Amino acid sequence: MQLSLYVPGKTWVHRLDPITKLLAVLVAVVLTFVLPGFFSQAGILLVSLAMLGSAGVLRRAAPVLAGVFILPLTFFVVQGLVYPGNVHPAVALGPVVFYREGLLLGLSLTLRLYNILSAALILVLVTRPSDLVEALVRRGAPPRLGYVMIAVLQIIPIMVASTQTILDAQRSRGMETEGSLWVRIRAFLPLMGPLVTNSLISTEERALALEVRGFAGGGKRTFLKDEQIPPYAMAMRILVLAALVLGIGGRWLWGWR
Amino acid sequence: MQAKAWKANFTTLTIVLIPVAVGINYVGKFFAATLKLPLWLDSIGTVLSGMLAGPWIGAISGAVNNAIFGITLDPVSFWYLITSIMIGLVVGYLAFTGWIRTPGRALVLGLVVAGVAAVVSTPINVLLWHGQTGNVWGDALYAALVHRGTPVWIASFLDEAVVDILDKVITVFLSFLIYKALPARLVKLFGGAHQEVESL
Repeated sequence: MQLSLYVPGKTWVHRLDPITKLLAVLVAVVLTFVLPGFFSQAGILLVSLAMLGSAGVLRRAAPVLAGVFILPLTFFVVQGLVYPGNVHPAVALGPVVFYREGLLLGLSLTLRLYNILSAALILVLVTRPSDLVEALVRRGAPPRLGYVMIAVLQIIPIMVASTQTILDAQRSRGMETEGSLWVRIRAFLPLMGPLVTNSLISTEERALALEVRGFAGGGKRTFLKDEQIPPYAMAMRILVLAALVLGIGGRWLWGWR
Repeated sequence: MQAKAWKANFTTLTIVLIPVAVGINYVGKFFAATLKLPLWLDSIGTVLSGMLAGPWIGAISGAVNNAIFGITLDPVSFWYLITSIMIGLVVGYLAFTGWIRTPGRALVLGLVVAGVAAVVSTPINVLLWHGQTGNVWGDALYAALVHRGTPVWIASFLDEAVVDILDKVITVFLSFLIYKALPARLVKLFGGAHQEVESL
């Protein structure tokens, strides 16, 4: 079982260092909130999707983007019906009237959702999580926090694998996992209890193993791998920061509405 | 007693507890889905780590939980980082002052956690989605309230609260039952029992 959605590859987006990608994602999210109007929002979305496309992961992004369809649906329905600024009726389905202002708000919330999602997917799909954590530790994040983040990625698949064992063991003792809601709720504790106890007992061993290897010691930490930063990463960072400055500056010059 | 509850408790053992807590969160969600329960139950690990190792470890478990899922599976979870931090802090503080002793108090704690979660999540929901949560039942209430002229902030708070209360009360109560069933040796290991020893 693989926890991360990361897709390995060798495209220019993959080779870009995690910090540059993190910066790009943050700027895209900030600009989503700073820039007005539908065209600029759609523009950011197109840039993000183009990045995902040139990294060759659009096919993996599609299910994630489609998976949240219920959110835009509720935006359009709820805001179209009851947004306090509603004045002009747009569509009437029998007695139910959708208003223009609310539907436009729904559209801008939908664009915002997809902007945040597709920008973040540049990080999620194209960056190995452990590379991102390592890059952060190189730049001064506490090494212990780095351990915690990477350990999560390793522990979860182990714990999920043991769920099947516990499920089978409890079923063989006659525990029911199907039926009425009450039956299913009662099954939760016998499943969760052993898993929690087992994993807490194993923390003691893991802590000892780490202590033996100098986890709690101070001193300068070294890294197994050298960091690879492609030459175009600097240009990319400047480009991204320029976009941020232009966006905020433009908004400041023309007023915040 | 109060100063003690906020004391930092960062040993190798409590740091190793953090990834385990995030794992428990994930597995709780997994079991809830396997049993087709109408709840998330995805913060049992955060609550347990607060009970076992205090407010700071609880808070960090919450933060790491949302940060990890933000960069691996669900980018939107990153925005609710503060909600998870607050859940860990509140549970850890009340556990370490020795307040949570009886099942009745565990239920009250569940209500407190649900209230805190809703208060912290509401500004995020208003900023991001104009107050909606994306949960069909909560949003139906939101629509009904806004339609009657209730301010968006209040409607949004209630939208979040109806979704949170049941989930958080059950999450905290189940965590309490699991905590009480843990071997005493294990609880002492992380520092969770030192108050009980003192009160003898």
